[in-house]
Formats: sequence, structure tokens, C-alpha cells
Amino acid sequence: MRLRRCAQGISLLVILLLVWALILDSMAILLAGSTLLFALAALALSFDSHFRRTVASVITKRTLERTMVRKGATVRVTTKIAVQVPAHMQVKIAENLPSGIVIQDGETETVFEAVPAAPPQRQERKVTYRVTPVVHGSMHVSGVSLTARDLFFENSIDLVSEPFGGPVLFVQPRGLFEPSSQRVTSETREIEKMSVLSGFGIRALREYYTGDDLRRIDWKLTAKHDKLFVREYSGVMSLPPLIIVDLPWRGGPHSAQDFDRMVAAVAGMAEYSVKMFQYVSVLLISGPNILQYMGEEKDLQRCMSMLREWMHPVERTVHFYRMSDRSDLRRQIRTLESRSEEARDPSTQKFHDSLKKQYLRSMQALQTPAFTAQLIRTLSPLMADECYVFSLFMADASHLRQVIRQAKAMKIRVHIRMPGTTGSSGGTDYQSRLGADTIEAFA
Amino acid sequence: MSLPLRLDYGFFLLMVAGIIIFTVAASPSSWYLYPPLLVLLGIVLHVTRTSKNRVFYIICSGQPLVIASAAMLVWAGLYIVWMLAGIVLATLGMLGSDRDWQSYTAFCGATLVIAAGIDASNHVLLPLVVIGGLTSLFAVVQTIREYQFRKRYTGANP
Repeated sequence: MRLRRCAQGISLLVILLLVWALILDSMAILLAGSTLLFALAALALSFDSHFRRTVASVITKRTLERTMVRKGATVRVTTKIAVQVPAHMQVKIAENLPSGIVIQDGETETVFEAVPAAPPQRQERKVTYRVTPVVHGSMHVSGVSLTARDLFFENSIDLVSEPFGGPVLFVQPRGLFEPSSQRVTSETREIEKMSVLSGFGIRALREYYTGDDLRRIDWKLTAKHDKLFVREYSGVMSLPPLIIVDLPWRGGPHSAQDFDRMVAAVAGMAEYSVKMFQYVSVLLISGPNILQYMGEEKDLQRCMSMLREWMHPVERTVHFYRMSDRSDLRRQIRTLESRSEEARDPSTQKFHDSLKKQYLRSMQALQTPAFTAQLIRTLSPLMADECYVFSLFMADASHLRQVIRQAKAMKIRVHIRMPGTTGSSGGTDYQSRLGADTIEAFA
Repeated sequence: MSLPLRLDYGFFLLMVAGIIIFTVAASPSSWYLYPPLLVLLGIVLHVTRTSKNRVFYIICSGQPLVIASAAMLVWAGLYIVWMLAGIVLATLGMLGSDRDWQSYTAFCGATLVIAAGIDASNHVLLPLVVIGGLTSLFAVVQTIREYQFRKRYTGANP
């Protein structure tokens, strides 16, 4: 039991009065101090009694959406909590989640207030939240933590005995790479891809970025502003675009303003797609983790509720960091070969050869990431000419390279939507590095 | 006006009446102390109507009155303690049911015993030692009870 500020003040007053009484040998001060001390002890006993009754009245019932999941999957947990709150007390009950589980969203605690001027009543609440296991094994919710307080005292207890815990969530491991026995059509071939035909109408004019098609340069505007401008033609669209949203990692910094803009842009695009094409497909990823896929959704409200549920920074179970795939390595090898031919210095040549051997060795051992395989499985049955990738570009973009590469392999035009370059880590050379068809800031 | 507010002012009026009666009966030389101390408590009662820590301010402003009254007569001091407790409990809304009134009566009875003990003593030291001993005993018993209680709910073997 802890004393709150009011009780701390009274305790100090009691000590001062008793010391003063001893020094002055004053019965009057002793009476004041001792009665105050007795009152404080009586209040403590009363609080303790109420606290015990409150704890004894707690009933929890926890249900999991699924009891067996793969690592990185999201599970909805619903806990019904009933408690009898004594008068003048506030009771807070929070879930005691095991380590290895991260909360994606929702509330894991609830506060019960006593009903004023009424006898203690049993109150019932439901807390709903979603969790993502980041390690495999058996996860057991150990129980709840109860904290009760009144004006003078505060006490808390972890209720971890059997009636308050469970059920067990079994988390299956998930590999980072696809098993070698499983054949996945991935980015092993570099082919000259046929681009989607563009229309004749000019949708927008924007500044030139490295990698833009030179044939699209608007020379009149370029001459006028002394800066390269390109035309963006409206596509001959007959299929709704796929919307891919790359949600930021919760552990990393991100601009809330940019994120809000991204949410608005995604919602606008989804609405536009439903209005124009009667349905929308949305793929939510966060780094190399596929979170949710909504394929050909016709109901705008359902789409919006899914976006509302997911559009927040999330925890990532898998991270990529400058992850090269086969074509990246091949490009590196080709570059090294050409440099090796150009180099006259034998030591430089030797270095290039040694590096090339390392790349070749890496390429032999290279496996297909599970993310790529999942992406292929998701995109393969999809009918789309274009896809819009929304991302804040706050960290490594290896996963986006994978997304773009797979989309391009399926002859899908990729348009990247990112925050404006000012104040964010994005740069104008992303387009060329990532291989997207267009790149624009959020409207 | 809500019931607790009426009650706390009621206890204050009873306190004023009690002070007047005790002052008239005992005719103490320090009679001039009571009016300003009562005014101080009255002001605090009025000013802290909406304050979150009203109870603490009331207790702090009431203690000088308890000491001054007990200096006149221990029983007068005890009466002020009862009234002050009434004001505090009314402020907290803890005088709403019969059970609350029973608790208040029990508190008055217990403080009567304390006051009787103090009245019977000649010096502070002995009652202070008794109070210190009882407080330590209370703390020890509470600690053991708390331990047993926690053991039951934290999944340990009984």
C-alpha cells in the first residue's frame, strides 16, 4: 500500500505534531497528533478492506481470435472484466501480456469509477486489442494487474493465479526464406518488360527526375522555366489500380504530419477506385511483412474500416537492411567486370576479382525471402495495370525494391507516392534506384 | 445544495456552538484565540469548496483549533476532533449510509479512549511510547496480512 499525496501530507503533519508534543511536553498537541494518526490508520484499514473485496470480486474471461498462429500474424484478443468498485475508489485493470508479444492497437487496460452516492455495483467492461507475436512458442497471458486508489492510498496487485490467466497462444515459427524445395517464380530473370500503354491526355506536368523517359519532356515549359519538366499522360486504364501501403515501423521515427497526409491520400485513392471501377484492392505491408490484403473489395465502408483499423505505425517481425537479390548482385558483378577491365593497376584488378568472387558466392547461397514469395502469391492472381505504392521512406527500402520488381515482372506500372522531399529522408533519385515508373509527393 | 455540503457546514456550526459553550464554561485566559482560528477554518471551508485536496487543507487549518481547545480542556479538544472528522467525512461523502455513521461513531469512541489515556497521563513520553508501539504493531500485522493476501492471488502455493 502506498500513500498518496494527501496521506503523505497528513503523515508529515502527524510526525511534526508528535515531535512537537515531545519537545514541549504538551498534552494538547499529543491529542491532536495521536487522533490524526488514529484517523489515518483507520482510513488505511478501510482502504485495505475495500481493496481486498475488490480483488475478490474480479472476474476475467479472455478469448483469442485464434489460438494457433504463425509468428508475425495479428490476433484479436477480447477480455471481459467484471469488478465490484467500492465507493470513492477508482480501479484500473490492465492486461499482463507476456514478453514476445507486441500490441498493434486497441486498449489493454480499463478504468472503473465508483458510481457516486450508490451502493457498490458490479461493473463489466470489455477490452479489445490486437497483438502480434514476434517470437515463436507458447504464449500465456499471465493475468491482469489491478490498481485501486482513493484520495489517500493506492495499492496494486498482479492477479496471476489460474482464474485470471490464459488461454495459451501457440505461435508457429516462420522462416525468413522460402524452403529451397518450393519453387517460386521470382526475380531471377531480367527481361525487357512491355510497358502499359499511356493515353493521349496529359494528366499532370512535373519536374524531371532521373530515370524519366526523355521523350516525355515538355520542351516549351522547360524553356520557359529553365528547368526540365515532363508530361504525365493519363493511362489507358481499364482495371482498378492496386494500392500498396507501406506502414512505418513503430520503433522508428516518422513524421506524423506526413503519415496523416499518406492516410488521407490512401483513403482518397481507395474511394476514387471504388467510384471509378466499383472495387479496390489494397495490400498493407510494413517493411518485409505482409499485414493484410483486401482483394477486389466492393464495399467502400468495409475498405475504410479496414484502413482505419490498420493505418498506424506497426511492429515489424522481420526487417530487411540493404537486402540485395539476385539481379542486384548480377548488376554488381557486371559493374565489377567492366571496372576490372578498365583498371590498369593489378592490385585494383585483384580487389575487383576478389569482390566478384564474394558476390558470386553470395549469389549461390542466396535464397528467396519469404516476403518475396508471399508477394508473388498475392500479386499473381491480381488483375491490375497499375499499382500505387504509398510509403514514408523513413528507413531501408529493400522491401519496396522487391515490391516494385515483382510488380514490374507482372507488367504492372508502379507509381510511388511519398512525402515531399523537404523535411523527409526521401530523395529525387529514388525513382531511378527503385525502378518505379513515376514518383510523386502526396497530394 | 448537495447533502455532503450541508453536512460539513452543519458540523462547522456545531463546532462553533461547542467552542462557545466550552469557552463560557471554562473561561480560559486564551479565549481570544478561538474566533480567529474558527474564522480561518471557515474561510478554508469556503475557499476550497471545489479544490481536489480540500480534505488536507481542512485538516491543516483545523489542527491549530484542536490544539488550542485541548490546551483549554482535553475534552474540548476531543470535541473539535469529532467535529473536524465529521467535516472531513462529509466532504468525502462518507456519511451517506447507516454503516458510515456507525464507522464515525466507532471513530469517536476510539478517540474518546485515546483522550482518556492522555488525560490520565502526566507527561507526553509514556503515551507517545504506547502510540509508537501500537503503530509499529499495526504496521507489522498489516505487512503479514498483505503478504498472505498477495500469495493467494499471485499463484503461489498456499
